[in-house]
Amino acid sequence: MTQPTKLVWSGRPRPLLLTLLLTLILTLIFSLQALAQDKPVVLKGGKVLTVTHGVIENGVVVMQGGKIAAVGSASSVNIPSGAQVIDATGMTIYPGLIDSETQLGLTEISAEEMTNDLVEMSDEIMPHMHTAEAFHAESALIPVARMNGITNAVVAPESGDTLPGQDSFIQLAGATATEMLLIRDNAMPLNFTGDQRRNKGGFEKSKFPSTRMGLAAQLRQAFLDAQDYQSKWKDYERKKADAAQTIKDSKDSKDGRDKKSEPTPPKRDLKLEALLPYLEGKKTIVLAAESPSDLQTAVSLANEFKLKFVLNHISHSQPVLDYVASLKVPVIVGPIYEAPKDDERYDTVYSLPAQLYKRGVKIAFASYSAHNVRNLPDQAGFATAFGLPYDEALKAITLNAAEIWGVADQLGSLDVGKTANVVVANGDPLDIKTDVKQVFIAGREVPMTDRQVRLRDEYSK
Amino acid sequence: MRSISLSTLAKTFTLDCALLTLLLASAVVSAQSQAAAHHDVVIKNATVMTVTHGNITNGSIYIKDGKIAAVGENVNAPPGVTVIDAGGKYLTPGIVDSHSHIALDDDVNEATSPITPHMMMKDAFDYQDKAIYRALAGGVTTSLLLHGSANMIGGQAVVIKHKFGDSRDALLFPNAPRSIKFASGENPKRVYGSRGQLPSTRMGNFAVQRQALVEAQEYMREWDSYDAKVKRGDKDATPPKRDLKLEALADVLRGKIMVQIHIYRADEMLTEIAMAKEFGYKIRAFHHALEAYKVADQVAANDIAIATFADWWGYKQEAWDAIPWNAVMCMRKGVRVAIKSDSGDYTRRLNQEAAKAIRYGGATEEEALKMITLNPAWIIGVDDRVGSIDVGKDADLVIWDGYPLSTTGVPEKVLIDGEVYFDRSQSGLGTTHYKEGE
Repeated sequence: MTQPTKLVWSGRPRPLLLTLLLTLILTLIFSLQALAQDKPVVLKGGKVLTVTHGVIENGVVVMQGGKIAAVGSASSVNIPSGAQVIDATGMTIYPGLIDSETQLGLTEISAEEMTNDLVEMSDEIMPHMHTAEAFHAESALIPVARMNGITNAVVAPESGDTLPGQDSFIQLAGATATEMLLIRDNAMPLNFTGDQRRNKGGFEKSKFPSTRMGLAAQLRQAFLDAQDYQSKWKDYERKKADAAQTIKDSKDSKDGRDKKSEPTPPKRDLKLEALLPYLEGKKTIVLAAESPSDLQTAVSLANEFKLKFVLNHISHSQPVLDYVASLKVPVIVGPIYEAPKDDERYDTVYSLPAQLYKRGVKIAFASYSAHNVRNLPDQAGFATAFGLPYDEALKAITLNAAEIWGVADQLGSLDVGKTANVVVANGDPLDIKTDVKQVFIAGREVPMTDRQVRLRDEYSK
Repeated sequence: MRSISLSTLAKTFTLDCALLTLLLASAVVSAQSQAAAHHDVVIKNATVMTVTHGNITNGSIYIKDGKIAAVGENVNAPPGVTVIDAGGKYLTPGIVDSHSHIALDDDVNEATSPITPHMMMKDAFDYQDKAIYRALAGGVTTSLLLHGSANMIGGQAVVIKHKFGDSRDALLFPNAPRSIKFASGENPKRVYGSRGQLPSTRMGNFAVQRQALVEAQEYMREWDSYDAKVKRGDKDATPPKRDLKLEALADVLRGKIMVQIHIYRADEMLTEIAMAKEFGYKIRAFHHALEAYKVADQVAANDIAIATFADWWGYKQEAWDAIPWNAVMCMRKGVRVAIKSDSGDYTRRLNQEAAKAIRYGGATEEEALKMITLNPAWIIGVDDRVGSIDVGKDADLVIWDGYPLSTTGVPEKVLIDGEVYFDRSQSGLGTTHYKEGE
């Protein structure tokens, strides 16, 4: 199929028959392609937003073996023989978007409790909860999100606990959960927004913790316990090594015996065990706070235990943005729809991304949602109306997110060698009117349908 | 940003040269007495999106006594009026939100009985709530503040103008028609079912509603009979005891109050239509109406509008079949469609929500804009006064920085009854009538 497939999309409704015919043709093309994933796919003629090296008008993107094989102007890129060439003239081509916090796969219908696996509320300290183990790959919400070009997301537990468990980093397509869960336990939220105080109230409340100082003390104790646990295990490992050496020495001296000196391992504690990679700085803590005071309490706690962290939300920390910048960590900002305080100007939170950017802080956006993940780019677009440069807004849902989550070698831009997560749309990604026409995840065309499309079509007959 | 420039006026407006000297003289007078007189305003050099008769590039609007007195490429206006140069920017009617619960200090649901038609939202209206200002800054000038959906028949709505900083009475939309909130589906059955009370099912919901309407019919008959006796000159006629609850419902049956129904499922829409026919009242609008696309023909045939979300879905079972094409599919079947907020958050950016109708189903710019202006104004019953840029209507207007049907378009100035209430270029809150610390 070297003949270019002409795909001319328009936003206007077209006659039903023509639509059906076009759908049929597209379905055929895409199902053929799905059978032959190794065949290179070439997008030709669109406006290519590379994110890392500018915009290429009349560009070409070559996808092969699930990776981006070439990106450049039409004149500079050789189209491999046997490739499927898609004419993307008039289209905009950009990397798959990354949502830095979602509850995808953890909920289906918000009000129906049995469909929710959002957060384990039996205790505030639940680091041994793994979202990967609740992730529902067949969720109807995932196709809805990816239809708008969201190809990757962080799945985080809801913020009811200070330590609600560990995130996953997913791609929004795959035969099974295993295929979709790119990284399990990639990060862990530490929430200190005040909302974790579930026992607050009058003096009749008797369960600890009921205050911020209670939550902070509980967190500190958890990390101290983990340190203690860690040293017990280190101690055990050392003794075990010594014992092994003793046995080896005795064997060497042909005097085999003395099993008694082998040490007993400490009792395993899943909670404390889960904290160790974070105490060791091997994984990232996502530190959530809203107000300046909570932010500084949380940061000092993180520093006390030398945690590696990024910040989350900080929607009401405008008075301390220079302090935020001095921390030299990225910020998952917002959502910028968070209402300002009553005495604040209407655009106080809308302009937060721009304020952070001006101070040199790397930012990323998140939908903080499950059903509305598809609207992630709207937030980036809205931030540009309040001073965030366009390029930075686009980076905040692509490359910056990839960097923050440690996957920038694979995702976040259209560069040779990266995973071929590519979106073809009829306009600018940050324009709310833009309709996404085709999404590629790891070089494969994602079926451009979901539960809602099926309902639309059923009732359009 | 206010400027009075006579040379600009002379250049821009069609003035009779013979009168120029006289006008110049009177302009000085009117400029001096401007503060005392009602602000007459000319907005010039705007891309006027009228909603009813297309766009006018480089258009002007003359506002007299708070009303739109002229619209066009050139307008005749006396000198001395305040001139706002829109600098080529877009000008739209003020946004109308036909479903909101802001400014009620959380007194949204009198959830102590499933039938509370005598609740007046006006009695809970908090005119100083900053949510009114935040919506204003998003271009909203009129809102319908409704009772919540805990009750099958909730209270009566209040219509407000977002004249933030003015007195309470100034914020009440003058002589707005009465609306009442009905509800159906999950909310009433959850609220009362969780207490082991009626209703806990959809059949319970409708039974409770029908019972209340039957009682209202009887009450209405008693009063009609009394009125007839009085008319006949019967001096011994004694009036029935007034009952606020039944009085309100009798007014529904008499067609004096518009019925606004919170509803999700298509089957319930059909039941509500049948119920309205059974008792002889009209339904003004289905609110939320996420499954309206399934029964759009019937909704249109009964002249019922919908006030819906652009793309909310999945937050409860009855929102599971929501699709973002609902608005445009219903519109194409002849239903008046409004996009509403039901939220202090979304009411700040209804323009973005309306833009989704362009994306999902290919609404035209004017059709999308109508969903947040003229159509919600019809739902509230004030479409003869707001919702489009037409002569004689209230001068509720928004000058946009950027294209309104986008994420990047944001209000620069918002006028209500011809006065600027929000101005983005001003420091502080950007309010012109509200001053911090007052």
